[in-house]
Formats: sequence, C-alpha cells, structure tokens
Amino acid sequence: MIPSDVRAGLQTRLQTITSLRVLDTVPDSVNIPTQGAVAVVGMLDLNFDFAMNRGSDQATCSILVIVGRMNEATAQDRLDGYLASSGASSIKAAIEADKTLGGAISTLRVTQATSGMITIANIDYISYRYEVTLIG
Amino acid sequence: MAIFMGNQVAVVVGTTNTISTFVQSVSLNRELDVVDITAMTDTVANAISGVERSNVTLELFNDFAASSVNALFENALGTKLNIKLIPVSGTVSATNPSYSMSCLISNWTPINGTIDGVATASVTYPVTAITKATS
Repeated sequence: MIPSDVRAGLQTRLQTITSLRVLDTVPDSVNIPTQGAVAVVGMLDLNFDFAMNRGSDQATCSILVIVGRMNEATAQDRLDGYLASSGASSIKAAIEADKTLGGAISTLRVTQATSGMITIANIDYISYRYEVTLIG
Repeated sequence: MAIFMGNQVAVVVGTTNTISTFVQSVSLNRELDVVDITAMTDTVANAISGVERSNVTLELFNDFAASSVNALFENALGTKLNIKLIPVSGTVSATNPSYSMSCLISNWTPINGTIDGVATASVTYPVTAITKATS
C-alpha cells in the first residue's frame, strides 16, 4: 500500500460527486461551493502486517467534509445527501464504487461518519468526519 | 538462532502455490497419543507415546480468483494436499527448517462473512507424513 496512491485514489472517488470540492489539506480559509461542500482527505494511520510475509497492511483514513457555516440554514440539508448510504451525492457510495482505488489496495470500507464542527479563520463550520478502513 | 517474529511464515500448497499473503496465522501442532501403561505395582502413572496425531491450523483470507485460496482448498475437499511451511520465508537451513506434510482437506468454509470484516476461513486439518528438512 502506497499512501500517496491511496490518498490520490480517495480524492478521485470523491471528485465523482459534483459540487464536492476536494482538497489535500485543511485550508487557511474555505470557499465552499454553492450548494456543495469541501472534502479534505487526511493522513493514513497504518497497522502493518495484516497478512503473513508482508502480504498486506491495514490503514484507516479520515475524510473531513465541511458543509457550511453553523448558522447556515441549508447546510444540514446538503449534508443529508452526502450522508446517505446511496445516491449521487453519497460519499460512502462514491468511495465504495471502486474498492481497490484503481488497484492501489485490495479492498476498503467506509466505516463511520461522525458529526462535528471545525473552526477555520474564526468561523465555525458544520463538518463530518468519515473513517475509511483500507487493506492492501 | 535468535528470537524471531512469526509474521514471515511461508505457506506453500502443492509445489508452487505460495499463499502466504492470504494467511493471517498458521500453526503446526505435533502431538502424540499418550498410552497409559501404569501397572498394579507402579506408584506413579507411567505412559509411552502412541501414534502421532498432528494437525495444521490456518486462518486464511479467502479469494475466489482462479488458482487462489478458495480453488486450492475447495477443489481438494476430501483428498490430501501437500503443504510446506517455512518459519521465515527464504532459504531453508538448520536454523530455518521446512516442514512438509500431507493434509487431509476434511473441511472448507467458502463463505464466512461479517458486516465489518474481510472474508476469512479458519481451518484445521489432520496431518500425516511430516518431514522436517534443513536444506
């Protein structure tokens, strides 16, 4: 498993969702697309030696989805589409549509989405943190 | 020889099918029957060794690709497969001996799924004709 390939693969999958802007890092200031959101693919936490003889490793990766300001009325509504388990805006469905990320890993699963808040440039945003488990 | 990690065991099925990368754990247990020969006049129990009843246990990640894990074991169900184990993948030597054996494929689990894990198969096979080699 090559972390840069995994991160690139996850970004590619997320970019299949229209209106979702995908970034490498949390920006100093965020410009959320109209009726959209920003996704940041985080770093990988690795557990080595998932299989014998360096066959594969296991990793988890966090994806931060920033939807809108805390006081924005439509932010929660937009979030529903991303949180859905299926549909054109579903983050889980988009990522799991290619479980090998173009051959970079053996398989993956989006395991969790946790609500939260992130402060960027002194502005509070509604966010969700997705956890992806990867094996490869 | 020193202490070594157990995460590099080579598992070879047949003569060429190395499936190590699909193995989560493997153990070869060599065990002999214990035959009691305690006599009336003995003051402590006495025993001799009987026949060997060894077995090999594998925790496998399943794969349905041609010639991969599922095909190897499911196609051999009811027959014997040769399996070779090497403690540390690489050159066999006096400090890294190989164990070759004939295993009766008495069971197989093609489907074993959970909601949060990869597909695995946990199997234990009786073993005969164990040969330990150092070269």
